[in-house]
Amino acid sequence: MSEQGQKRFEEIVERFVELKDTSELMMDLAYSSLLLNSRELAEEVQKLEEYVDKLHTDFELLALTSDFKKEEAKGFLGLIRLGVATEKIADAAAEMAEVVLRGIEPHSVLKLAIEEAEETVTQVCVTADSPLVNKTLKEARVHEETGMWILAIKRGGKSLRPKHDSKIQPGDILIASGYADGVEDLERLASPSSSCTPE
Amino acid sequence: MRHFEKIEYKPIPVRELLLEMKNLSELMIDLAYSAALFNDKELAEDVLELESHVDTLAYLLDMEIMVAARDSEDAEALIGVSTVAEATDKISDAAADIAAIVTQDIGVHPIVSEIFEKVEERLIKVKVNENSVMVGKQICELNLAARMGVDIIALRRNKDWMLNPNETEKIQVGDLLITRGAPLGIKEFKELAEGKLKELVE
Repeated sequence: MSEQGQKRFEEIVERFVELKDTSELMMDLAYSSLLLNSRELAEEVQKLEEYVDKLHTDFELLALTSDFKKEEAKGFLGLIRLGVATEKIADAAAEMAEVVLRGIEPHSVLKLAIEEAEETVTQVCVTADSPLVNKTLKEARVHEETGMWILAIKRGGKSLRPKHDSKIQPGDILIASGYADGVEDLERLASPSSSCTPE
Repeated sequence: MRHFEKIEYKPIPVRELLLEMKNLSELMIDLAYSAALFNDKELAEDVLELESHVDTLAYLLDMEIMVAARDSEDAEALIGVSTVAEATDKISDAAADIAAIVTQDIGVHPIVSEIFEKVEERLIKVKVNENSVMVGKQICELNLAARMGVDIIALRRNKDWMLNPNETEKIQVGDLLITRGAPLGIKEFKELAEGKLKELVE
């Protein structure tokens, strides 16, 4: 394959990885929206679904317009099918979030199943004595310390999508996903001395 | 033709069925991507088997919900459960679609796997080196989820895949591990498996 061909290929694969990562983020956010009955998070999932649709189209166009040889057609077909399946996963996440947007109060059974799953979502509140206070998300290294990913920060009734330079403040509620084992570590980090339960 | 399991009502709590569907659907996605990107037919076939199991669970869950709903209030409370269960079923279908790329001999372009391994940070395949500190340890002793936010989703030893391997399974030299999780943890895990990182840091 020519150098230019290789470069184009890398671009297609990078697009696919973004598609894949976004669809997985959507699943986490969709489960969070159900667990917390949060319209905001559910709306976030719907926004991401629109983004995924666009990403998917770009990805397919890129794949179709790359100058592949006849014998490479199967490999490209595989790549296109991979994209279709990933988009289906994003759709499924959007359908879950739709439950919340339709005003259906998530049943306690749903909440239990999400909390007890191997990969779970949780929320913790940040108390004034937490080492996280006044740190940016990048500095806080929550992920390295606990293995949990921060999906959203709730502050003053609003949910913010985390950015590297978002500063954590006392009273923030962190919504995070990861393996159940990390939940306790995250609680200890966010509210070290007091037991603080987000409502 | 595929064999379809006969469906009979069994009293299983909705919570248990839903939990299993959620766990399986997520495991299947990662297994399916692994099968496609590492071009592994056996792993792909395992995904297809799991998919038909999830189908069975979906039937059982639907029946549970029908039995549980006695009036319109129940129906309103339960519709969310069945919608979410349907979505997990759809996710497992998508995983099966990915696996089918491999079982139907379509495959993805080999360059895809090569680039994918470079850019994907959440899913790796790694072989356990003889110098690895993991050798001889049970999976639970490694405390992977708490320590680095990763999880071994499949283990291959002498040609056989173990899916979601037992926590008491001991890691051996030459084991092929598919691990998913947090990017930094994945990096650390790879170094541990390859014997480049010598100790398990708390």
